[in-house]
Amino acid sequence: MPDKMQEEILDIVSMVVEKEKKQIPLDAHLIQEVGADSMMALEILAALEKKYRIVIPEEKLKEMTTVNRIIAMAKAARKK
Amino acid sequence: MSKQLRSLEIEEIKKLIPQRFPFLMIDRVLEASPEKVVAIKNVTANEPFFPGHFPDQKIMPGVLLIEAMAQAGIILYRQKFPNDKLLFLVSVKARFYAPVIPGDQIRIKVVPIKLMSKMGMEKAELFVGDKKVAECELSFGSQDAKT
Repeated sequence: MPDKMQEEILDIVSMVVEKEKKQIPLDAHLIQEVGADSMMALEILAALEKKYRIVIPEEKLKEMTTVNRIIAMAKAARKK
Repeated sequence: MSKQLRSLEIEEIKKLIPQRFPFLMIDRVLEASPEKVVAIKNVTANEPFFPGHFPDQKIMPGVLLIEAMAQAGIILYRQKFPNDKLLFLVSVKARFYAPVIPGDQIRIKVVPIKLMSKMGMEKAELFVGDKKVAECELSFGSQDAKT
Protein backbone atom coordinates (compact mmCIF):
# COMPACT_ATOMS: atom_id res chain seq x y z
CA MET A 1 0.00 0.00 0.00
CA PRO A 2 2.18 2.81 -1.29
CA ASP A 3 -0.01 5.74 -0.20
CA LYS A 4 -0.19 4.55 3.39
CA MET A 5 3.58 4.31 3.55
CA GLN A 6 3.95 7.79 2.08
CA GLU A 7 1.63 9.17 4.73
CA GLU A 8 3.42 7.32 7.55
CA ILE A 9 6.85 8.50 6.43
CA LEU A 10 5.62 12.06 6.09
CA ASP A 11 4.28 11.76 9.67
CA ILE A 12 7.72 10.67 10.90
CA VAL A 13 9.53 13.46 9.03
CA SER A 14 7.02 16.04 10.23
CA MET A 15 7.43 14.92 13.85
CA VAL A 16 11.24 14.94 13.73
CA VAL A 17 11.71 18.27 11.93
CA GLU A 18 8.85 19.83 13.93
CA LYS A 19 7.04 21.22 10.89
CA GLU A 20 3.51 20.65 9.68
CA LYS A 21 3.12 18.19 6.84
CA LYS A 22 1.90 20.83 4.44
CA GLN A 23 5.16 22.71 4.96
CA ILE A 24 7.14 19.71 3.69
CA PRO A 25 6.82 19.24 -0.09
CA LEU A 26 7.73 15.69 -1.10
CA ASP A 27 10.51 16.90 -3.37
CA ALA A 28 11.89 19.66 -1.17
CA HIS A 29 15.48 19.26 0.00
CA LEU A 30 15.10 18.55 3.70
CA ILE A 31 18.30 20.24 4.80
CA GLN A 32 18.45 23.14 2.32
CA GLU A 33 14.73 23.91 2.05
CA VAL A 34 12.93 22.46 5.08
CA GLY A 35 15.51 23.26 7.76
CA ALA A 36 16.47 19.75 8.90
CA ASP A 37 20.03 18.77 9.85
CA SER A 38 22.04 15.57 9.77
CA MET A 39 21.05 14.61 13.32
CA MET A 40 17.39 14.84 12.32
CA ALA A 41 18.18 12.59 9.35
CA LEU A 42 19.55 10.05 11.83
CA GLU A 43 16.36 10.28 13.92
CA ILE A 44 14.24 9.74 10.81
CA LEU A 45 16.39 6.77 9.83
CA ALA A 46 16.12 5.21 13.31
CA ALA A 47 12.32 5.71 13.30
CA LEU A 48 12.05 4.02 9.88
CA GLU A 49 14.16 1.07 11.02
CA LYS A 50 11.91 0.58 14.03
CA LYS A 51 8.61 1.02 12.22
CA TYR A 52 9.35 -1.17 9.21
CA ARG A 53 11.84 -3.54 10.86
CA ILE A 54 14.45 -2.78 8.22
CA VAL A 55 18.15 -2.04 8.44
CA ILE A 56 19.42 1.02 6.61
CA PRO A 57 23.21 1.23 6.26
CA GLU A 58 25.13 4.39 7.16
CA GLU A 59 25.96 5.23 3.52
CA LYS A 60 22.26 5.70 2.78
CA LEU A 61 22.04 8.68 5.14
CA LYS A 62 23.48 11.01 2.49
CA GLU A 63 20.78 9.93 0.05
CA MET A 64 17.93 10.88 2.39
CA THR A 65 17.60 14.35 0.90
CA THR A 66 13.87 14.50 0.15
CA VAL A 67 10.76 12.74 1.46
CA ASN A 68 10.33 11.05 -1.93
CA ARG A 69 13.84 9.64 -1.79
CA ILE A 70 13.28 8.43 1.77
CA ILE A 71 10.08 6.67 0.69
CA ALA A 72 11.87 5.00 -2.25
CA MET A 73 14.71 3.94 0.04
CA ALA A 74 12.38 2.48 2.68
CA LYS A 75 10.44 0.56 0.03
CA ALA A 76 13.65 -0.84 -1.45
CA ALA A 77 14.91 -1.88 1.99
CA ARG A 78 11.60 -3.56 2.76
CA LYS A 79 11.78 -5.80 -0.31
CA LYS A 80 15.12 -7.24 0.72
CA MET B 1 38.06 -8.89 20.50
CA SER B 2 35.49 -6.19 21.00
CA LYS B 3 32.76 -8.78 20.49
CA GLN B 4 33.54 -10.35 23.85
CA LEU B 5 32.02 -9.14 27.08
CA ARG B 6 34.68 -7.57 29.19
CA SER B 7 34.83 -5.48 32.32
CA LEU B 8 36.80 -2.26 32.60
CA GLU B 9 38.35 -0.60 35.61
CA ILE B 10 38.83 3.09 36.11
CA GLU B 11 42.15 3.60 34.26
CA GLU B 12 40.74 1.85 31.19
CA ILE B 13 37.53 3.87 31.46
CA LYS B 14 39.60 7.09 31.46
CA LYS B 15 41.10 6.04 28.14
CA LEU B 16 37.61 5.83 26.63
CA ILE B 17 35.92 8.94 28.00
CA PRO B 18 37.43 12.43 28.28
CA GLN B 19 35.62 13.58 31.44
CA ARG B 20 37.59 13.95 34.67
CA PHE B 21 36.95 14.97 38.28
CA PRO B 22 34.43 16.28 39.22
CA PHE B 23 32.66 15.10 36.12
CA LEU B 24 33.68 11.46 35.76
CA MET B 25 30.40 9.65 36.39
CA ILE B 26 31.47 6.03 35.79
CA ASP B 27 33.40 3.98 38.38
CA ARG B 28 33.47 0.61 36.69
CA VAL B 29 32.18 -1.09 33.57
CA LEU B 30 30.79 -4.57 34.22
CA GLU B 31 30.02 -5.46 30.62
CA ALA B 32 31.14 -3.87 27.39
CA SER B 33 30.26 -5.02 23.90
CA PRO B 34 28.97 -3.23 20.79
CA GLU B 35 25.48 -4.49 21.74
CA LYS B 36 25.37 -3.45 25.39
CA VAL B 37 27.28 -1.63 28.10
CA VAL B 38 26.56 -2.04 31.82
CA ALA B 39 28.40 0.33 34.13
CA ILE B 40 28.20 1.38 37.76
CA LYS B 41 28.67 4.55 39.73
CA ASN B 42 28.84 4.61 43.50
CA VAL B 43 27.20 7.70 44.91
CA THR B 44 28.82 8.91 48.14
CA ALA B 45 27.98 11.72 50.56
CA ASN B 46 31.27 13.35 49.53
CA GLU B 47 30.17 14.08 45.93
CA PRO B 48 31.07 17.69 45.10
CA PHE B 49 27.56 18.57 43.97
CA PHE B 50 25.81 17.62 47.23
CA PRO B 51 26.67 20.76 49.25
CA GLY B 52 24.56 22.75 46.79
CA HIS B 53 21.95 20.16 45.82
CA PHE B 54 20.54 20.54 48.39
CA PRO B 55 22.09 21.89 51.59
CA ASP B 56 19.52 20.11 53.76
CA GLN B 57 18.68 17.14 51.55
CA LYS B 58 21.24 15.41 49.37
CA ILE B 59 19.77 14.38 46.02
CA MET B 60 21.88 13.62 42.96
CA PRO B 61 20.83 16.11 40.24
CA GLY B 62 18.83 14.59 37.38
CA VAL B 63 21.07 16.29 34.81
CA LEU B 64 24.03 14.41 36.29
CA LEU B 65 22.10 11.13 36.00
CA ILE B 66 21.76 12.01 32.31
CA GLU B 67 25.51 12.75 32.26
CA ALA B 68 26.21 9.30 33.73
CA MET B 69 24.02 7.65 31.10
CA ALA B 70 25.70 9.72 28.35
CA GLN B 71 29.19 8.73 29.55
CA ALA B 72 28.20 5.06 29.52
CA GLY B 73 26.88 5.84 26.03
CA ILE B 74 30.32 7.07 24.92
CA ILE B 75 31.79 3.76 26.09
CA LEU B 76 29.15 1.91 24.04
CA TYR B 77 29.94 4.00 20.93
CA ARG B 78 33.66 3.32 21.30
CA GLN B 79 33.06 -0.45 21.41
CA LYS B 80 31.94 -0.18 17.80
CA PHE B 81 34.04 2.80 16.69
CA PRO B 82 37.33 2.89 18.62
CA ASN B 83 38.30 6.48 17.77
CA ASP B 84 38.89 9.48 20.02
CA LYS B 85 36.32 11.85 18.52
CA LEU B 86 34.80 14.29 20.96
CA LEU B 87 31.06 13.59 21.05
CA PHE B 88 28.42 16.25 21.59
CA LEU B 89 25.03 15.58 23.08
CA VAL B 90 22.33 16.59 20.60
CA SER B 91 19.03 15.56 22.14
CA VAL B 92 17.79 13.84 25.27
CA LYS B 93 14.38 12.44 26.12
CA ALA B 94 14.49 11.44 29.77
CA ARG B 95 12.21 10.35 32.56
CA PHE B 96 13.03 10.09 36.25
CA TYR B 97 11.25 7.70 38.58
CA ALA B 98 12.97 8.04 41.96
CA PRO B 99 15.65 10.23 43.56
CA VAL B 100 19.24 9.00 43.88
CA ILE B 101 20.83 9.64 47.29
CA PRO B 102 24.19 8.98 49.02
CA GLY B 103 24.85 5.27 49.45
CA ASP B 104 23.12 4.28 46.23
CA GLN B 105 25.02 2.29 43.65
CA ILE B 106 23.62 3.17 40.26
CA ARG B 107 23.77 0.61 37.49
CA ILE B 108 23.60 2.04 33.99
CA LYS B 109 22.54 -0.11 31.07
CA VAL B 110 22.94 1.31 27.56
CA VAL B 111 21.98 -0.29 24.25
CA PRO B 112 22.24 1.12 20.73
CA ILE B 113 19.23 2.30 18.75
CA LYS B 114 21.46 3.20 15.79
CA LEU B 115 25.21 3.72 15.87
CA MET B 116 27.08 5.33 13.03
CA SER B 117 30.67 6.46 12.70
CA LYS B 118 29.90 10.15 13.24
CA MET B 119 26.67 10.03 15.24
CA GLY B 120 24.34 7.76 17.07
CA MET B 121 21.20 7.18 19.11
CA GLU B 122 21.10 5.09 22.26
CA LYS B 123 18.69 4.01 24.95
CA ALA B 124 19.84 4.05 28.56
CA GLU B 125 18.27 2.78 31.77
CA LEU B 126 19.44 3.46 35.28
CA PHE B 127 18.81 1.16 38.23
CA VAL B 128 19.40 1.23 41.98
CA GLY B 129 19.11 -2.39 43.07
CA ASP B 130 16.22 -3.80 41.03
CA LYS B 131 14.38 -0.50 40.85
CA LYS B 132 14.55 1.56 37.67
CA VAL B 133 15.20 5.16 38.72
CA ALA B 134 15.62 6.83 35.31
CA GLU B 135 15.71 6.17 31.61
CA CYS B 136 16.56 8.21 28.56
CA GLU B 137 16.94 8.14 24.84
CA LEU B 138 19.88 10.21 23.71
CA SER B 139 21.43 11.23 20.44
CA PHE B 140 24.91 12.58 19.88
CA GLY B 141 27.25 13.53 17.09
CA SER B 142 30.89 14.36 16.58
CA GLN B 143 31.89 17.82 15.42
CA ASP B 144 32.49 16.62 11.86
CA ALA B 145 28.94 15.23 11.64
CA LYS B 146 27.44 18.58 10.67
CA THR B 147 26.65 18.79 6.99
